[in-house]
Amino acid sequence: MTRILRSLRDGIGFDVLLVIIALSYLLVFAGLPLIYNVIISFQTVDVFSLGTLWHPNAGFDNYRAIFDDPLAGRVLWQTIVFTLGSVALQFTFGFALALFFHQNFTGATWIRGLFLAAWVMPGLVVGVLWNWLLSGDFGVINHLLESLGLIEDPVFWRSNVETSLYAVLIANIWYGTPFNMILLAVGLAAIPGDLYEAAELDGANAFQRFWTITLPMMRATIGAVLALGIIFTLQQFDLFAAITQGGPAGSSTVAQYWSWQLSFREFDFGRGAVISVLMIIVVLFVSLIYVRSTKAETQL
Amino acid sequence: MTYQIELDRVEKHYGRFHALKEISLAIPKGQFVALVGPSGCGKSTLLRSIAGLERITSGTLRIAGEPVDDLPPRKRDLAMVFQSYALYPHMSVRDNLTYALRLKGVSRAERARRAEEVAAVIGLETLLDRRPRELSGGQRQRVAMGRAIIRQPRAFLFDEPLSNLDAALRVRMRKEVRALHDRIGATSVYVTHDQIEAMTMADHVVVLQAGRIEQQGTPVALYDRPANRFVAGFIGSPAMNFIPGVIAGDGRAVRLALPGNPMLETTIAGTPGLQVEVGIRPEHMVLGSPDAPDALPLVVNAVETTGAASYLFTEGEPELIVTTEGTATIRAGDTIGVSVDPARVHLFEPETGASLRSASL
Repeated sequence: MTRILRSLRDGIGFDVLLVIIALSYLLVFAGLPLIYNVIISFQTVDVFSLGTLWHPNAGFDNYRAIFDDPLAGRVLWQTIVFTLGSVALQFTFGFALALFFHQNFTGATWIRGLFLAAWVMPGLVVGVLWNWLLSGDFGVINHLLESLGLIEDPVFWRSNVETSLYAVLIANIWYGTPFNMILLAVGLAAIPGDLYEAAELDGANAFQRFWTITLPMMRATIGAVLALGIIFTLQQFDLFAAITQGGPAGSSTVAQYWSWQLSFREFDFGRGAVISVLMIIVVLFVSLIYVRSTKAETQL
Repeated sequence: MTYQIELDRVEKHYGRFHALKEISLAIPKGQFVALVGPSGCGKSTLLRSIAGLERITSGTLRIAGEPVDDLPPRKRDLAMVFQSYALYPHMSVRDNLTYALRLKGVSRAERARRAEEVAAVIGLETLLDRRPRELSGGQRQRVAMGRAIIRQPRAFLFDEPLSNLDAALRVRMRKEVRALHDRIGATSVYVTHDQIEAMTMADHVVVLQAGRIEQQGTPVALYDRPANRFVAGFIGSPAMNFIPGVIAGDGRAVRLALPGNPMLETTIAGTPGLQVEVGIRPEHMVLGSPDAPDALPLVVNAVETTGAASYLFTEGEPELIVTTEGTATIRAGDTIGVSVDPARVHLFEPETGASLRSASL
């Protein structure tokens, strides 16, 4: 004991202490809940048994119930559309903006900072904002589309089965684009300017420089941005809560929202846990891509 | 005569900063030209202007007789070797070498053949599949050269390409770059802040200061007949000694502002009584007995020895440097006698710094 105290006083072993603190934090607040969640997915948990630590075993019943649920196929499809749509368009707009502000015109840094305003807002606020914008009767979006002659009658974005998912999707693209822009801008800034000059002298036009220098040099950053985009999109909850609540008739329900509905609306915690376990598996794969990307980044 | 690169009264402004002032320069095909000067003198700006990476404000720039002011870099057919090498980190050495050919649409087989050929010239045959980060500084330097050579451009531009190498390698690459230039009959413009590099490599040296060409000519001409005080002090190592003086006697001698006001003979005719700045290179100060009739008596303050030569630093203002061969037996505190060949004495106008020799010739 005195030896431990002495080593602490001398600062030897301080690094070990720091590691222990960080690891215990992760174990208590991330590791254990994660494991408990997996366990719950194999148990029958309802309002009555919620208070106990251990619940009756259910085997694969919860899993079977989820896969047999008529909503499952639609939720899966809607989750894929929402995730890929969000990531693809956030990335495209983010990259376009990053390239635009990379031209370094007067005020570029300042305006780029303004774009971040969207990203720092809480999700619920963004949801409310887009509720107004997408409103059927007096929404700005409908007004714009009508003035441009693209639609004749107002679209009721949030309450139409056909459009409700896209209402959230549009809001989420707006919400996540600045984050993509900032990460990609950092990647762009890290490419040495003399590479472009060398390529220019070697005969490359602007398009060829983008294709043969910018894109390959950004590969690691792009991998990281796409992986983070998928992870963040699978975490998106606030916008659904604020804009459509998954409706109407489940037409905008995605996996994470369904999990919440099962757990906290229907109080079927077992089935709610099943969905989160399945999502964890997907996220683990994406995280591997992310880790590999960041490794490649340090190697270049 | 058409020149490979020709600049006529080229000017460059950055906002209110006047970076290049009335630069006129004509480089014949096959010549190796060095642009040399202290940092901030405009030598890199001049090179980048030739490359097209900077737009000149006024004047004309011709490459092989064709005005290129409005051509972007990729249409000028010039190759540049950067100080940082600027190798493409995501490409193998082979792809780095053949990048320009690929853009031009040269066939894969032809590209492979040319890559092997150039790799043999620069001695990198075994490294073609490596990435730049797996190469040493010297090898990267060679790849950068190879990338320029493979294109067979109208001229090569070098931007301080050797300054990131260690001293020994720098001396070796100096010779290699020049040998390569001669072998492929290239036209080269080489920017350096190192006057030794400029003197040893170039056929024609251009000395720049504050955006202006101070003097241009062969290395020997710059050394023997510097047009002004700046060039005299910049070319040569250690730098030329400058001593204030007054032209005396029949105008073929100066009285130096040194203790005892000694007289020094010159071969330059001047008006007696004229204030001048006397320039004598350290290696032209010949050590003799302090009692010899024409010798300047000087007291040594410090001695530096390199083995091949010794540098004697004198006491008092201005401090003078005397170079002697071998290891000196002289110590600090000794008095030495120094004599100077009158033909080796330079005189400069104190105000403008202009050489009086050119005026008298």
